[in-house]
Amino acid sequence: MIVRDSVFLALRAITAHRLRSFLTLSGIAVGIAAVILLTSIGEGIHRYVLAEFSQFGTNVIGIAPGKVKVGGGPPSGLPTSVRPLTIEDAMALARVPRVNGVAPTAWGNAEVAAGGRTRRTTIYGVGADATRVFNMSVRIGQFLPPEEPSQARALVVLGPTLKRELFGTENALGAKVRIAGLQFRVIGVLESKGQFIGIDLDDTAFIPAARALELFNRDGLSEIHLSYEEGAEVAPVVAAVTRILAARHGREDFTITTQEEMLRTLSNILDILTMAVGALGSISLLVGSVGIVTIMTIAVAERTNEVGLMVALGSERSTILGLFLGEAVVLAVLGGVTGLAAGLGLAQVLRMVVPALPVQTPVLFAVLAVVASGLIGLAAGVAPALRAARLDPVEALRAE
Amino acid sequence: MRIRDVFAAAAGAAAGNPLRTVLLTLAMAIGVAAVVVLTALGDGARRYVIREFTALGSNLVIVLPGRTATGGVNPGSAVTTTPRDLTIEDARAVTRLQAVLRVAPVAVGTSEISVGGRLRDTLVLGSTAEFLEVRRFTLAQGRFLPVEDWDRGSPVMVVGAKLRTDLFGAEPALGQFVRIGDRRFRVVGVLAASGSGLGMNTDELAIVPVALAQAMFNSNTLFRILIEARNRALLDAAKSQAIEVLKQRHGGEEDVTVITQDAVLATFDRLLGTLTLGVAGIAAISLAVAGILVMNVMLVSVMQRRAEIGLMKALGGSSGTIRRLFLVEAALLSLAGALGGYAIGHAGAWVIRFLYPTLPAYPPDWAVLAALGTALVTGVLFGVMPARRAAALDPVLALARR
Repeated sequence: MIVRDSVFLALRAITAHRLRSFLTLSGIAVGIAAVILLTSIGEGIHRYVLAEFSQFGTNVIGIAPGKVKVGGGPPSGLPTSVRPLTIEDAMALARVPRVNGVAPTAWGNAEVAAGGRTRRTTIYGVGADATRVFNMSVRIGQFLPPEEPSQARALVVLGPTLKRELFGTENALGAKVRIAGLQFRVIGVLESKGQFIGIDLDDTAFIPAARALELFNRDGLSEIHLSYEEGAEVAPVVAAVTRILAARHGREDFTITTQEEMLRTLSNILDILTMAVGALGSISLLVGSVGIVTIMTIAVAERTNEVGLMVALGSERSTILGLFLGEAVVLAVLGGVTGLAAGLGLAQVLRMVVPALPVQTPVLFAVLAVVASGLIGLAAGVAPALRAARLDPVEALRAE
Repeated sequence: MRIRDVFAAAAGAAAGNPLRTVLLTLAMAIGVAAVVVLTALGDGARRYVIREFTALGSNLVIVLPGRTATGGVNPGSAVTTTPRDLTIEDARAVTRLQAVLRVAPVAVGTSEISVGGRLRDTLVLGSTAEFLEVRRFTLAQGRFLPVEDWDRGSPVMVVGAKLRTDLFGAEPALGQFVRIGDRRFRVVGVLAASGSGLGMNTDELAIVPVALAQAMFNSNTLFRILIEARNRALLDAAKSQAIEVLKQRHGGEEDVTVITQDAVLATFDRLLGTLTLGVAGIAAISLAVAGILVMNVMLVSVMQRRAEIGLMKALGGSSGTIRRLFLVEAALLSLAGALGGYAIGHAGAWVIRFLYPTLPAYPPDWAVLAALGTALVTGVLFGVMPARRAAALDPVLALARR
């Protein structure tokens, strides 16, 4: 029996019981659709989070005071008794080859007042390079000018939210604001960066790092961020930074985190999440495959006569086996394709409803879904098909 | 036909085809078991978090420095600095409030701790004698920090259970001298092992007097002020009084965030509740698939039993009886599946509890009821169509065909 005939027979068997076949394949279809939709959402969240993180630039290195603790995890921003990172440390790092921006960073929470309005918000002490390192752009005016840290003037650049809260639609450039009692002059307003995982990035004020240290009465920076040239290898940069800081501090009492590493870790976590969600969805797939087993068992029982006749006419047992296996596989793949279409459709609908979430079905998953449905059909068909192939023709013909 | 007969006939029909019945039951059982196990996991996580929080002491009010106008507590405000420090004096002022029972100022930092050449990085927590009671810690050995002037701490320290093992091994720890940063401390007590609490592993803590911790980290600010209200009813009063007194002390500027246990707990509760619901919903899709299967098999069953149905009708069985017969069969199959799944689900939850004893993975009642109910309802709903089809058969035609 040639392959074409087998497929033809399988298709005929399927179309002979339209409702039954439809129900069986819809079981698989629901399962596949669930897996596709859930993994699409997972992948969407994955992309969303990575995009959120990448908006600070991917070629950024963070340096924090204190060594990684034994239990793992980088220093948490808590004060330490180790030697603090200073603005001078940051300036020394600007000489590292391929580094194109260094931002000493110190942050705290303070009250900003202007024109009779006040707002408590996050104050960042940074340097002139911060726009490049944090991927920010200025909307009006200019960013903090490059200055000697010891002579940094009291200038401030406002985030758009803070500017709106304090000045409304009025011009803020040149205005005086009081930050925790000290007077600063506004020289710029930043372009909006939006939200970052629920935190408003625009509700901030940027002042020179030296001024921030003074304001918060700290002797060390919270962190030093530096960016390196696009396309440069990260390892030599990290090595050079480590060498310089270790020489300045006498030992390695700081922790370096590269954005690349962080993104990779994050990406792994999110991949696992997508997998887990997909696994949850595949419970339905399992139930659907039990459905195929059931229906194929029934089909074999119903067609005992037919099988008996075929064997009596000289069909080989492998042909019978192939016939029933083929039927199960065709049924499952049809269900898989239907489910794939449904899942993709739902994902599209979701994308229209929630445009912020870049719902995306990875091609790999789509292919996997169809392959998986075929395998499920194969696995589910084995027991019933074996049963059919082992039928004794004499008994089978006599049955009923 | 009497009810009992209907049930007997339906059960007989189901038993007449054991393989099919088993497969159908299995499909339903997988769905129900998935719902039960997954909600058990989700609810277990919820209970775990609640238990951890309650262990902190339920009358707790926490003051942290800094406040954001956007509202709420965001990760940025977890560790922050403000121009005006939250000081030990502030904490002392809070002590005098009417609704407040105890106050523990907390300063936290990381430092290197060394003893006899062994060196490790550790979390150092500066506090006072009250801390033990406020946080409901228990001591394994020795005593806690002495009751003394908050501004002048004696150089003594209490170590967590794991830190003690790491530093001293099997040797006695009490009375030993330990160097933290550039200061010497005498170990006066060891905390009882408590496992890791939320975020902060208390077994690896070194607790020293708050004044010394501040000196060590060269800062005047506190990380938190922990306030224990006199009783639960006074929790809100303690919160508002604390805000009021701190505002007064900080020149009329409200630069602290005050959170109560309940607020944080409610957030977690909602979050994990939603998660459980979502996971249960995903698992419930499989129940729908099982429902489709029930419908399919019942349809086949109707086809196969045409002759039987025709005979019944010819003998005077009404359409209603036939319909009832098939519906009861579908319901029985679903019920068996649901009960089987319930048992499997509970077994699964038991395995989880066995593997992770800290996680109280019990499926919540609502989830179990919902799973059983959904299984039964889908079974019956999907059974309606086949049953109607059976009832609509024409007896003459049904009997005539073979």
